[in-house]
Amino acid sequence: MKKTIFAALLSLGALNLHAVLNEDVEVPYVPFEIKMGKHFDLVQANCLTCHSFGYILNQGKQSRSFWKEKVEKMVDAFKAPITKEDQALITDYLAEQYGNGQP
Amino acid sequence: MKRRSFLKGALAGAGVTALGPEAFAAGQPVDNRKISSIPFPQKRPMITYSDRPPLLESPRYVFAHPVTPNDMFFVRWHMPDIPTHIDLGTFRIKVNGLVERELSLSVDQLKHDFEPVEVYAVLQCGGNSRSAFKPTAGGIQWGSGAMGCARWKGVRLRDILERAGLKKEAEWVGFNGSETAAYYETPNFVRELHLEEIGDHVIVAYEMNGEDLPYLNGYPVRLVIPGTYSDSWVKMLSNLTVTSDYQHLFFMDKAYRVPDNDCECQKPGEHVPTKPITKMNVKSFIGYPTNGETLYHNSYATIRGVAFDYGAGIKAVMLSFDDGKTWQEATLGDDMGRYAFRAFTYDFKPKKYGKQTIMAKAINRAGEEQPFAKDIKWNHGGYKFNGIDVVTVEVV
Repeated sequence: MKKTIFAALLSLGALNLHAVLNEDVEVPYVPFEIKMGKHFDLVQANCLTCHSFGYILNQGKQSRSFWKEKVEKMVDAFKAPITKEDQALITDYLAEQYGNGQP
Repeated sequence: MKRRSFLKGALAGAGVTALGPEAFAAGQPVDNRKISSIPFPQKRPMITYSDRPPLLESPRYVFAHPVTPNDMFFVRWHMPDIPTHIDLGTFRIKVNGLVERELSLSVDQLKHDFEPVEVYAVLQCGGNSRSAFKPTAGGIQWGSGAMGCARWKGVRLRDILERAGLKKEAEWVGFNGSETAAYYETPNFVRELHLEEIGDHVIVAYEMNGEDLPYLNGYPVRLVIPGTYSDSWVKMLSNLTVTSDYQHLFFMDKAYRVPDNDCECQKPGEHVPTKPITKMNVKSFIGYPTNGETLYHNSYATIRGVAFDYGAGIKAVMLSFDDGKTWQEATLGDDMGRYAFRAFTYDFKPKKYGKQTIMAKAINRAGEEQPFAKDIKWNHGGYKFNGIDVVTVEVV
């Protein structure tokens, strides 16, 4: 009897190990507390396609030129289709809400 | 010259040459960040910087042990779309390009048709401890838990390449994983290695600490390059392409680079030639006690932590209880190989009440040792921080 239970437990363990294999994995959504502000709607529309708000607010407080370069990197390196006009307004939002006061 | 005016002069002088310590140096990385209440698949709750792509950090206490449990092992992806379903029946690792025979290998074939090898190796993000840099360097402001050590089991990359047979013009191998971007035009997260870099230690791993790789650590297979930073350890590896020329790649050419000078440093705003981050520098980290913990006067507490480097191996770990004036040698744990965490312990008996700092400094077999955090110079990406670790406890 003992032996059977042990064997059953073992196979259960093996099943768990392969859980990933049999069903879809669900990565949870984490509600990061992002600051509201002017042009937030553009951030939501353009940035969330590729990354969470956590990716923004965990960069720490940065200069306006840092944020400008980050937005440009998303467009130039990662090919995000963000218009010139939106790029400038998103930079304004980021410098305003997550700026360190430096130009 | 009177002593007072001499000091004044010296300070002013130092200020000029060093540009002010805050402007060009590092402090301690942020510690004790809140652990999220939301656990990710196959993980216990961890410090969570992002859910898409997933970015998870291990809390300090994990490093009281030389092997990092899979469910507490840090996670860092680059692209938003990670396959959420992998069918081992159809999943294949393809090998193509300048080879005699193109290969399409199942995980089962990897496990059974090749000699299995195992290695303990540290996986560490190049930006681990980035939050130490002042001013704030670009990137996620990691504390020091973007690292871990596991026992990786897999197949030598060389054996796979040998099976495919390299053509004589072959020079480079490009590695592509299964994560994809939101936009078709976005460059894939591809890394390349020159054939000369591919020693027997480089493996394609399918197991981590005796289990299948966790989904978030690259299930079903990932590249393992002991001694180097994790940006090259491609997860969910699906394709190897052999080429004669280096293909220009965003992640190797633009990201994960440090200034190409002796100090690997630059002034904020200064643009200098750069080189890829590759070999990890010597580092140690205290897992117990953690910051803010209470120790008891005149009563032994065993300080525990880990140390590692790029593979020279750890020679000694020194601890200081007087802000670095004097150092005591810790006891090293089992040697699990030159790429592994080397555990250290030290029985400490606090002799004074109140705040007590504990510092840890590793020295490797090549004689390289960790600098004080304040002596680490700035780089734009906040890479390769290896300042001496400091934990402050309360003795009651």
